[in-house]
Amino acid sequence: MVALFFLYPLGYSAVSAFQDRGGAWTLANFAKAFELYRMDILFTLAIVLLSSLLVALLSVAIGGYLTLGGNRVAVTLLRWLYRWPLFIPFIVASQMMRSFLAKNGLMNNALIGAGIIEPLQAASLLDWRGVVVTFVWKQTPFVALMVAGAMASLDRSTIEAARDLGAGRLRILAEIVVPQVRPTLVVGLILSFVTMLSVMSVPMMINPNSPTMITVDMAYRINAHGDYGVANALGFVSYAMAGLVGWIYLRHGVRQGGGR
Amino acid sequence: MKLSTLFAGAAGLALAAGLMAAPLKADTVLNVVTAGDQNMVDYVNDYLGPKFEKENPGVTVRAAGTGPGDAGSQKIYEKLSAQDKASTAVWDIDVAVLHQKMAGQMAVEKLLSRYADRTASAKLATRDTARNALGADVAGYVLPMFHSQIALAYNPDLLKTPPRTYAELAEWVKANPKAFGYNGIKGGMSGVGFVTGWVSANMDDAARLEQGAYDAGLKPAIDKALSGLKDFNRNVTLTPGNAGTLDMLNRGEIAMGPVWVDMFYTWQADGRLGPNLKLQLIGPGMPGQPMYYAVPAKAANPEAARKFIEMATSPEVQAEGIVKRFNWYPGIDAQHVQAKLDQKTWARLFTDVTPDELAAKGKPFPLTGYFSDIMEAYERTVAN
Repeated sequence: MVALFFLYPLGYSAVSAFQDRGGAWTLANFAKAFELYRMDILFTLAIVLLSSLLVALLSVAIGGYLTLGGNRVAVTLLRWLYRWPLFIPFIVASQMMRSFLAKNGLMNNALIGAGIIEPLQAASLLDWRGVVVTFVWKQTPFVALMVAGAMASLDRSTIEAARDLGAGRLRILAEIVVPQVRPTLVVGLILSFVTMLSVMSVPMMINPNSPTMITVDMAYRINAHGDYGVANALGFVSYAMAGLVGWIYLRHGVRQGGGR
Repeated sequence: MKLSTLFAGAAGLALAAGLMAAPLKADTVLNVVTAGDQNMVDYVNDYLGPKFEKENPGVTVRAAGTGPGDAGSQKIYEKLSAQDKASTAVWDIDVAVLHQKMAGQMAVEKLLSRYADRTASAKLATRDTARNALGADVAGYVLPMFHSQIALAYNPDLLKTPPRTYAELAEWVKANPKAFGYNGIKGGMSGVGFVTGWVSANMDDAARLEQGAYDAGLKPAIDKALSGLKDFNRNVTLTPGNAGTLDMLNRGEIAMGPVWVDMFYTWQADGRLGPNLKLQLIGPGMPGQPMYYAVPAKAANPEAARKFIEMATSPEVQAEGIVKRFNWYPGIDAQHVQAKLDQKTWARLFTDVTPDELAAKGKPFPLTGYFSDIMEAYERTVAN
């Protein structure tokens, strides 16, 4: 099953990235992909890296509060709330953000209504910022879920010991808790990275203009030009990015395993 | 893995059983596959299908959509082309609804049948688009289902006198930064049409883009025509998609932007767009396009398909379905349709854009070769 429906198409698309329409070997697809879409390739990498960073910060903050938070009501409320975005598909999230982040959208109207900003200051966030906001909103719960689980199963005695010695909560989080859950955090972030790299609905619906993410360009090459060659070349670039991250992960895993 | 394999297998069996069971219910199943938005599928399911089934007992019409834009037509092409290459005796699409670019390619590659000559309504469709699809000869292979047109929608509360030409628009955009919005070339055809219109407006021999043979030597002229668009883009708002432009107009975030006329009227009729918004077709012209009914070369039910299209292109159906319900311009010549409609409905379609304006400023899209050149030149010079 895996070979037929995954490995074969994967190999086929990788090979056809190096072929022209007649089937001859060529690098023209890559030349065109870099000529037209080099900004988009960098943009994609930047967006996904920035989103991963924000997801890391937020999920550690959420996991940390769930583990170390003192206010029981707040912890329960947060535990109940933070998972909701997990159940919302990317495309629905993008449609929500389209009306939430628009210039005269819900967020700005609420800020204006609350007297926080002037109507003239309202700006649309439906560009790269909108893409990042949607990715972070959607992926944070996923990583937070993994991280919070790992944090909950930690040996509490290390935390209690640090607390007895007078360490603040932030310090406990940064120096005791996070180092112990780092493998889980890294796995969660890598899975998020690869997921965000492959999402088309979010950039398509929020920021389909240039620069945009390469998923949009791939769809455009196929839909508007029937050009599978350049689309596959872009796909190859995207495998390379995912592969690089996967390699880091494997090295990380090997080092961890080797140390034990 | 095991469980999911089981589920996949069960789903496959259910699907196969469904497909086998379906033809038993009626003598003939007419498969209508349409490119375009959901409204195209709705049109067949809610209106054309039931009407045809009533007139032809024993026939069941089944509609499926392949998605908006040229992408939808591309999918139909890929399916038929695959069946052709596999030498399948009978293809599983009886009626295809296609965009111009793919209809031309499919006629050239002999994937379509010449049904139109034997169809009564062919005499009622005399516009150039019934014979020529972006440079490809499609005479006999297609009949136009409807025509649609791109025009600028604007908010008269924010500007009293809209620009009348591309040159005036460029001036206006300079004076009013960010008040004009369009969706680039990857977010739908209204933006694409705006760009090809820009090229025509800024080229000396723009007529060559629409007729004659393709000449790659025109590329530098296209690059030159697009050179002003990069500056222009600095002062505009780029919107997310065809619907995105309408949304932003409706929320008052932009004052003007290119839209599909039928989408504009439909949204207005549904209350999704302010009733005060208006349309302006600017000179020298903006493009429009028909969608075509076609019958694949090896359709299972070619005769039923032909009858279905004959009904769908009759003046009655064009009046009631195309103009009245869906706000499209008719596919067959307007005078045959006007006679079947009350004056009010007819006038609604031509409130902002008069028939004379439409005739003078409604242009076809450029020939396929030039079209691709324009899109690539845009990506290279404007977007990069």
